[in-house]
Amino acid sequence: MNDKIENSTEDIILDPELSEQLKKLVLERVGSMPDTLRMSVGSGELTKDDILKHVEQRDNIGNQVIEMELEFLRDLANGMVYAYE
Amino acid sequence: MVWFMPMSKSILITRPDHDLITKYFCAWSNELVDFAKSKMIKVYDLKGKKSNKKKFLSYINIRCPSLIFLNGHGNADIFAGYGDEPMVGVETILKDAIVYARSCEVGKNLGLILVQNGAHSFIGYNRKFFCGYTPEKITKPLEDEIAGLFLKPSNLIISTLLKSNSVQEAHNRSRKSMYKNFRKMVSSTSTFEERYSARWLWSNLHSQVIFGDPLKTI
Repeated sequence: MNDKIENSTEDIILDPELSEQLKKLVLERVGSMPDTLRMSVGSGELTKDDILKHVEQRDNIGNQVIEMELEFLRDLANGMVYAYE
Repeated sequence: MVWFMPMSKSILITRPDHDLITKYFCAWSNELVDFAKSKMIKVYDLKGKKSNKKKFLSYINIRCPSLIFLNGHGNADIFAGYGDEPMVGVETILKDAIVYARSCEVGKNLGLILVQNGAHSFIGYNRKFFCGYTPEKITKPLEDEIAGLFLKPSNLIISTLLKSNSVQEAHNRSRKSMYKNFRKMVSSTSTFEERYSARWLWSNLHSQVIFGDPLKTI
């Protein structure tokens, strides 16, 4: 029986320690974004530095990016990205 | 005896172009306008400044389009037109139409309310709609291959509906196309930009939602 308890995204964001670790992880991941790429989200046209600022400030866009990264990492880890149907 | 005129197929497109991403949406919608015309489907094209609430409601009330394609910015409760002027809200009635919103978050709440207000079906996104793009291509959006990876699967919703397939089929084909692009983007043959932005497309794939009658066709 697998008794591993997985934290929900909300749990992680609400837990100050986990949330801080997650922010650091996302900052690292965003830091590897190529300078030749831009992200459009909402009315924002964002460079890597813009996204880093949003994540650092934990504003609406920053939180959306954090949530997106967390879900993607989870789906990578559980193999869902390779077995999606 | 009462005679009913058969309802002709028609599509209403809103496509403002007041900022970069709406310019991209607007340009990538051209092929859908042409495709609808080639299928002899009447097109009501609210391009640029014509994407405003007054014109939109006028077309909705008088022309009763069977398919409504909304391009622009939005949130859980509002969809906006040119200059981010609110155009569709929880009070809007889009009776007997199939609605697709290429916009952030409209699938979080507003989409369901539009169905409760009488729309047949709705497809949209319950989170932010992410789109990658190439800064060197912003004056030629149709040549931006990164943006194409995000916008072609999205266009597929409308082209599938214009071919008289069901809402569910349009949703499925679009998601399948996003996944196909995603797999290509994470493969060893992809560029660095494609590989990095794959996570954004993955998010869109998971945030695309459908409400109302999934079997409805235009």
